[in-house]
Amino acid sequence: MKRNLILFALAAAFASAPTVAQQTTLNVVTAGDQNMVDYIKDFLAPRFEKTNPKAVVKAVGTGPGDGGSQKIAEKLQAQKGNAAWDVDVAVIHQKMAGDLVREGLLAPYVRDVSTGRLVTSEASKNALGTNVQGYVIPMFQSQIAIAYNPALVKNPPKNYEELAAWAKANPKKFGYNGIKGGMSGVGFVVGWVYANTPDGDKLMKGPYDANAKASWDGALGKLKEFNRSVVITPGNAGTLDMLNRGEIAMGPVWVDMFYTWMADGKLPPNMRLQLIGPGLPGQPMYYVIPAKAANMEAAKKFVEMATSPAVQAEGIVKKFNWYPGIDAQHVKAQLDEKTWNKLFVDVTPQELASKGKVFPIKPYFDDILESYERKVLN
Amino acid sequence: MQDRGRLGVLLVAPALAAVLVLFIYPLGYSLVTAFQAKGGGFTLGNFAKAFEFYSVDIGFTLVIIVVSTLLIALASIALGGYLTLGENPWAVALLRWLYRWPLFIPFVVAAQCMRTFLAKNGLMNNTLVGLGILDVGQTIGFLDWRGIIITFVWKQTPFVALLVAGAMASLDRSTIEAARNLGAGRLRILFEILVPQVMPTLVVGLILSFVTMMSVLSVPLMISGESPTMMTVDMAFRINNYGDYGTANALGFVSYLMTATCAWFYLKRQIR
Repeated sequence: MKRNLILFALAAAFASAPTVAQQTTLNVVTAGDQNMVDYIKDFLAPRFEKTNPKAVVKAVGTGPGDGGSQKIAEKLQAQKGNAAWDVDVAVIHQKMAGDLVREGLLAPYVRDVSTGRLVTSEASKNALGTNVQGYVIPMFQSQIAIAYNPALVKNPPKNYEELAAWAKANPKKFGYNGIKGGMSGVGFVVGWVYANTPDGDKLMKGPYDANAKASWDGALGKLKEFNRSVVITPGNAGTLDMLNRGEIAMGPVWVDMFYTWMADGKLPPNMRLQLIGPGLPGQPMYYVIPAKAANMEAAKKFVEMATSPAVQAEGIVKKFNWYPGIDAQHVKAQLDEKTWNKLFVDVTPQELASKGKVFPIKPYFDDILESYERKVLN
Repeated sequence: MQDRGRLGVLLVAPALAAVLVLFIYPLGYSLVTAFQAKGGGFTLGNFAKAFEFYSVDIGFTLVIIVVSTLLIALASIALGGYLTLGENPWAVALLRWLYRWPLFIPFVVAAQCMRTFLAKNGLMNNTLVGLGILDVGQTIGFLDWRGIIITFVWKQTPFVALLVAGAMASLDRSTIEAARNLGAGRLRILFEILVPQVMPTLVVGLILSFVTMMSVLSVPLMISGESPTMMTVDMAFRINNYGDYGTANALGFVSYLMTATCAWFYLKRQIR
């Protein structure tokens, strides 16, 4: 009996093999946390497979943070000499996009995709100083803000100066994750440098001047002093954990993680956000298509679907609490007032426009991190 | 005869190839790139940078791991000793059943558990407060260097204890009985009769633990965000944030030196 079953299973497998052979497997490789993989696997893939019955979407995650994007870049670099590459669509961080465009590893696909016309944001043209127009469509825009517990913080600080004073008056009640444990801490440090150096704008727009870092000593010295009265948390999630347990009263977090944790009941619903001045950075993640993607046409179709207003509304805004990647007015029409407003209760669109910064251009970015290691950690 | 020799080579070839491709090649590659400048060519710049930025972390790593190793030694001697000399059969049976559990838990899971267990308002402190042993104001979190040591000791003690307890159990019990007849206490028997005899096993277990702990990234990353941190975190940071394999490999080279020193002791013991 058992043997018959096995034979039957084998026969079934062989019988179905020819149909498998006709299918195209679309490899969608994403950097970022597990939620990125889940979004592609559980949300985008079924939708795409429904309208494209011959396609099977395979979601692959390469790990959180810039390291995940770095892995995708290394994979593409390694396949450079091959005729066809096995990454059809990639989702990468802003920091890596410039490098990949410069090295000619990406396809200028945006002109062939109808949703390309719905994106006019700065982030879709400029990735930390490199012109990436035509090569990327933002999947979403994310923002770092200061989360606080209103029960413990009655008047949340409005800018970095007030925050530093607050932290001094309330030792070990502010927490952030340094620079080695995730981007919310990195963003906080970058914002600190913007706030405490005169030429923050130059850091975001260039041109690069290798001597500029000498002028950051004062800012970093103050940060070292500041660090004495704060808690360094283990990771982006570590900050949220400590807020949840009431160990700290304030800390920088990703806005989308904040809302998702709250929706999952991992953060008390009374927690609030504050985007402090002069501003904190945010970043998009980009849909890109490698220059020699094996399934170029299917890849374009996939990105077109993923950046359509309906999917951006339902998936990006409603489900994951990210700010949309394509221009907001196209997405807003798809959502009811309540869902839309939820994203903008604490951080108003005006605030987001004036205090939502970008990360510095890449050479400055590296300089800021290294200077932090040199001056603050040592 | 020659055929047999050839057959032998053939038999050993797959294993040898696997070792060469998967171990020797990457090891050699990383050693070479530690001395390579960005454009190629020999340099000591990577080491200069590694020491300039991370000398404190290198020292910190060594201290954390040496302290952990010593604590593991004490804990595993105590465990093995009780399993061999314990007089309450119930307690011995229970301990024998319990102590191996951490062996089957990966480092990353252990780190995740400790992260919620050791936090200031974590499971441990909440329990102590709930039992009325501590007051809310008295609690402290252990999510710093202490947390790393606690996790390492918790995770690695069963491994060493398993080896040590096994070695102790296989000793000739007549030496223990003789000491007992002459009036030696249990502690004295443990340190003067048992430990000297199982020393080789203990040292081997500790060396293997040392090397394992050197390579763990998840524990320092998840338990402590503080600085100084362990070298594995710095290596990951160098690669992930700057794509700087040179400095990361230089740090790797330093940790090879540390583990190689251990390996040398290990081999010396093996040969003897």
